[in-house]
Amino acid sequence: MAARKKTPAARSPVDGLIELVGVSKVYNPDRVPVHALADVDLQIAAGEYVAIMGPSGSGKSTLMHILGCLDTPTSGSYSLRGQEVSRYTGKKLAHIRNRDVGFVFQRFNLLPRLTAAENVELPLLYARAPADRRREVVADLLAKVGLSDRGHHRPNELSGGEVQRVAIARALANDPAIILADEPTGNLDSKSEDDLMELLDSLNAAGRTLVVVTHEDSVARHAKRVVLLHDGRVV
Amino acid sequence: MNLITLCARAIASMRYNKTRSFLTTLGIIIGVTTIIAIVALLKGLDRTIDQEFSSLGTKTIYVQKLELEIGLRRHRNFEEISKRPDLTVADAAAISKLPTVRAAVPNIHRDLGTLTRGVYEADECLLTGIGEGGDLTGNWVVSEGRFITRYDQQHRNMVCVIGSYVAGNLFGPGEEPLGQTLEVEGRRYTVVGVLEEKGASFGHPQDNQIYVPVETYIKYYSLPEGRASVFRGIRIEVLPEEKVPVEAAVADVEELLRLRHGLRYYEDNDFGLNTQESMLSSLNTIRSVLWLVMVGVAGISLLVGGIGIMNIMLVSVAERTREIGIRKAVGASDADVMVQFLSEAVALSSVGGVVGIFLGLAAGAFVSAITPLQAAAPWWTVVLGVGFSAAVGIIFGIYPARKASGLNPIEAIRYE
Ligand SMILES: Nc1ncnc2c1ncn2[C@@H]1O[C@H](COP(=O)(O)OP(=O)(O)OP(=O)(O)O)[C@@H](O)[C@H]1O
Ligand SMILES: [Mg+2]
Repeated sequence: MAARKKTPAARSPVDGLIELVGVSKVYNPDRVPVHALADVDLQIAAGEYVAIMGPSGSGKSTLMHILGCLDTPTSGSYSLRGQEVSRYTGKKLAHIRNRDVGFVFQRFNLLPRLTAAENVELPLLYARAPADRRREVVADLLAKVGLSDRGHHRPNELSGGEVQRVAIARALANDPAIILADEPTGNLDSKSEDDLMELLDSLNAAGRTLVVVTHEDSVARHAKRVVLLHDGRVV
Repeated sequence: MNLITLCARAIASMRYNKTRSFLTTLGIIIGVTTIIAIVALLKGLDRTIDQEFSSLGTKTIYVQKLELEIGLRRHRNFEEISKRPDLTVADAAAISKLPTVRAAVPNIHRDLGTLTRGVYEADECLLTGIGEGGDLTGNWVVSEGRFITRYDQQHRNMVCVIGSYVAGNLFGPGEEPLGQTLEVEGRRYTVVGVLEEKGASFGHPQDNQIYVPVETYIKYYSLPEGRASVFRGIRIEVLPEEKVPVEAAVADVEELLRLRHGLRYYEDNDFGLNTQESMLSSLNTIRSVLWLVMVGVAGISLLVGGIGIMNIMLVSVAERTREIGIRKAVGASDADVMVQFLSEAVALSSVGGVVGIFLGLAAGAFVSAITPLQAAAPWWTVVLGVGFSAAVGIIFGIYPARKASGLNPIEAIRYE
């Protein structure tokens, strides 16, 4: 399906950190096409705290992957800080994932063979940061998420909540402007959920843009804006 | 990411699967070991041959009943060869008259075993009948006295020239061997010369010689017959005139002997003209066989090793699909992932290479220890070993690494 052309006038003139215009995503376009996103417009300003909600299969993860430059839209435009990134490929997308966005998944966040500290270090390695700076940043971030004493633990030696906090520390490694979290509390009990949300709140309070996908009203309450998706459309 | 971090990471990942890594590198280990060991062997062979031949006369032509070949001897009918005419002192005299020939010396010897003189003993002595010029053809330096002369030969003089081992063992410390008599198998010879020490050749001692005039020898000892004559009969050592190429002298000697033996033009030589050159040429056969074995074994095992590495890397990429997805999600570029997996493949093959180098060097040292071959691998084989194994890692690692780097991050993370 072709996206309707939007005129530049339709764009929000405000501090548009993220601007999606007419974004669609079609999986399996050749066989059984799945329209995961249909003509989505979305603006997120710097410093916003947005929750994305919607029923299962409504396209939340697909949207997050596009926002995080893990995937590209089938059609439409995505501009990040005024750069049109929807047609970027390979190396440029990798650079954005490394520097501009930090991503937290619901599961399988950490590399099982590496320690917590080594997991946090990964984005710094790919940013070619020197060893002493890497050590410093890793120590700072582990302290920030309250896991200074868990640096040498491997993921299977950590609780679910601790794993997610390590993932957040890693998302912060290169000090990105945006943190994207796809159901970060999906596997956690309510106590761990509260701790994690407190951590995310503090990040937003410090000025970072936050987008969180969730099914829980208790989580969405923390956000200042809720975007509702239904069948791939913003409602 | 710098090289050290890469290597550290690659090795850490290898240690994660020690047994698998070892089995994978086996092919590389065998390949590199073969390369190093065989080059060491070839080098040792060359070095030993060089030394041995320099202690013999380098230009000397050995005229014998048999064409000599070192090593791979094709099937010879010794019955036939023993029927060939024996070489004689007269043949030597005729050859020595050739203008291209400086000296032609008849030579025949027998083992004496242990020789005693009063309280003194010398083991494994050799009695050799020889003519004038035997010091030239045998590359001897006479340290005291003189060598056997034509005069000694013609008059069947009871004189002898002895090697340093004989002189040292049969004569007491302050004793001067010159002018003394030496009793050999019941006959008394006057010592007229002592030779300088030469050391062993092809593992045989040389300083155990007792040289007597060939005519004297023939007078007392019957010449060997039948099969024994092939190796133990009279041989003639020919030294070409200075500035005359060995081949020219060989051609003259050949023509003369064919004439003396009455050979027709269509008949083959019934004697051997053995030179360092001709013996070395048969050595070259050994050398090329060794090279072929090396190239074959090394090539096949490196190929098998490479396929093993490719296979294990493909397994590794499949096992670590989710890891690759996460790495990409946090900013690894395709090139980063490519380099990571390529360096793991190279680390695998290089570790195999290093182990192979040590095994190969050990094999060379072992051969040196138990044989006279000084089988030492030159430094460039080490470079070759490292180079080959690293190259195998790169060549066979590219495909799996490309596969890893081409993965879509989201699909990779979702991979079960
Ligand atoms: N790789 C894919 N190939 C084909 N279809 C896909 C693929 N990924 C997602 N989909 C489909 O796209 C639609 C949106 O999926 P998405 O994962 O974005 O949903 P979601 O809102 O995150 O759901 P949930 O709340 O269950 O995580 C679904 O119908 C899903 O089946
Ligand atoms: Mg989802």
